[in-house]
Amino acid sequence: MKVNPYAAIPATLKNIIIETSNITTFTFRPEEPIPFKAGQFIELSVPGFGEAPFTPSSSPAVTDTMDITIMRVGAVTERIHALSIGSKVGIRGPLGQPYPLDKFKGREVLIVGGGVGLAPLRALFFALIEEMDQYKKIILRYGARSPADIVYRKAVSTAWGKPEVDLLLSVDKGDESWRGNIGVVTTILENNKLSLNIHNSVAVVCGPPIMMKFATIKLLERGYPSESIYLSMEKNMSCGIGKCGHCRIGPYYACKDGPVFTYDRIKDEPRIWD
Amino acid sequence: MAMKLKQGRTIDALMEFISSGCKVYALHRTDDTYHLDTAPQWEGNKHTLGFYRPVEPLKSVMFPPRQSAGALLQQTKPDPCKGAVAIGVKNCDLAALKIHDHVFLDTEPIDPYYNEIRQNTLLISCDCTKPCEVCFCTAVGDQPYPKSGFDINISPLPNDKFVIESGSERGKKLLDSCSDLLEDAGQELIKARDTARQIVYKTVADQAAAKGLDNDKNYQKAIIGTAESDLWERFAEDCVECGACNFVCCTCHCFLLADGRSATGTPARVKQWDSCLYRNFARVAGGANPRKYRAERLYNRFDKKFNFFKKVLNLYACDGCGRCIEACTGKIDIRDVLKEALDES
Repeated sequence: MKVNPYAAIPATLKNIIIETSNITTFTFRPEEPIPFKAGQFIELSVPGFGEAPFTPSSSPAVTDTMDITIMRVGAVTERIHALSIGSKVGIRGPLGQPYPLDKFKGREVLIVGGGVGLAPLRALFFALIEEMDQYKKIILRYGARSPADIVYRKAVSTAWGKPEVDLLLSVDKGDESWRGNIGVVTTILENNKLSLNIHNSVAVVCGPPIMMKFATIKLLERGYPSESIYLSMEKNMSCGIGKCGHCRIGPYYACKDGPVFTYDRIKDEPRIWD
Repeated sequence: MAMKLKQGRTIDALMEFISSGCKVYALHRTDDTYHLDTAPQWEGNKHTLGFYRPVEPLKSVMFPPRQSAGALLQQTKPDPCKGAVAIGVKNCDLAALKIHDHVFLDTEPIDPYYNEIRQNTLLISCDCTKPCEVCFCTAVGDQPYPKSGFDINISPLPNDKFVIESGSERGKKLLDSCSDLLEDAGQELIKARDTARQIVYKTVADQAAAKGLDNDKNYQKAIIGTAESDLWERFAEDCVECGACNFVCCTCHCFLLADGRSATGTPARVKQWDSCLYRNFARVAGGANPRKYRAERLYNRFDKKFNFFKKVLNLYACDGCGRCIEACTGKIDIRDVLKEALDES
């Protein structure tokens, strides 16, 4: 870590890919590499305006650029969405703890994403397929509101659909062209849509709080032990280094001890889904 | 070795010697209380060691209410702290540094801004001699005189007598260098100091006991046990979310990292005190808020102080200074809250 952990590395916006009406993937080139592991996050700042936490969505193996997929929901993301190619930003990180991939090895990995929650899972997905032979199986279940709200649509429907990846999508509401499943994401976690070897499987979940809550309930019903369910907790992570006090969950800080927690670590804390 | 002033020497002379060339933080008596004054040197006609702690917590020296956190897009070092001395520090403020040291220094990465001031500030502490009526340090396991954490401690006794002790290598060197002012205190004076300490301890313990608190109480268990109680709603009815309790608290450490621009237009950021009683303290951009209701935020404050820090550091993040009792606009008394939590759990 640098002398001043509150200072950011300057980065330039190199590419913009519009994913949906309010979600865009930005590619930044930092002035120096920011090597991260899947699950770790960064703080992205619009100089002079503000900063917000995001998890990179690009492969951890790529270090000269970093993709960040961002939904426009607040003041900072509004500013980020207004950036143009060549704009300067600041990136602090990597912050937090990565997914414990060593614990995943030799097991099935079920990735459950909802909406823009697929962004951090994309970095995880890239990390997993880098060493595909280390995992029993990779299963991806992704839900979006409508076909138009699916992020990485082209990639999801082509490159990600490797034969060795068990991939299924669902939308809450379909359209004329949609031939896939219709229903909330938990409908593609049912027995008839998802075959599992529960005793040798881990589940990784990221999405809106309400989706995480019901996906977790479904996974528990399916027999996952709570220590095998990994959740990305969205909290107000301001300093990102466990000092400013905003993102506390019981005895933990989401920024320092998370943002990924197994369900058993946080299940007794109040209002984790809010 | 415990020292005392030589015949004819004054405490002002010692303070002037110790603080020579340093920025001084010292107590200044106004009306019926003390304030923390900042001055270029010790001023004998203005500064005092004080009977009890000032309104402003010591944290405001190491962790100022609003402090530059440097340029955003380049690595800058904190402004050098060329030497400061805090004089008359009471044990509640000294004990609170354990919390701040843990947050800002013990966990990587360290906070260079806190570190710069902390390392370069000499701590001259002082026994409490007349506690104020809201003091209850004995009920949270502390005592109204320092045992550690100081460079030099001063125990005032009647007739302008003082027992002076070092508590660090830095303090010892300093005392060794003023041998023309000091001499061995002798057993009799140390005995008088110990007796005086016991009397003050009893005064604080008695006033805490009158509020139903003592140092045998398990506040952690009481807070955990009342998580679902309506006591938080009852007390929160009087809370106006002003944040005064956080700001005067000697242990509260939460801050905002706020962005703006320096006078020259360079993107810069500041660390600014924040309050966990504010509605949006834990809110995220999407609108989710784990502590939407005031009662939840009040509970969170107590949970952080008496449960979180007990778990992670085996300390309560409350040193019984009583400042929040004086500052609260809604007249919420932390002792009453703790007493009700103890009774209910």
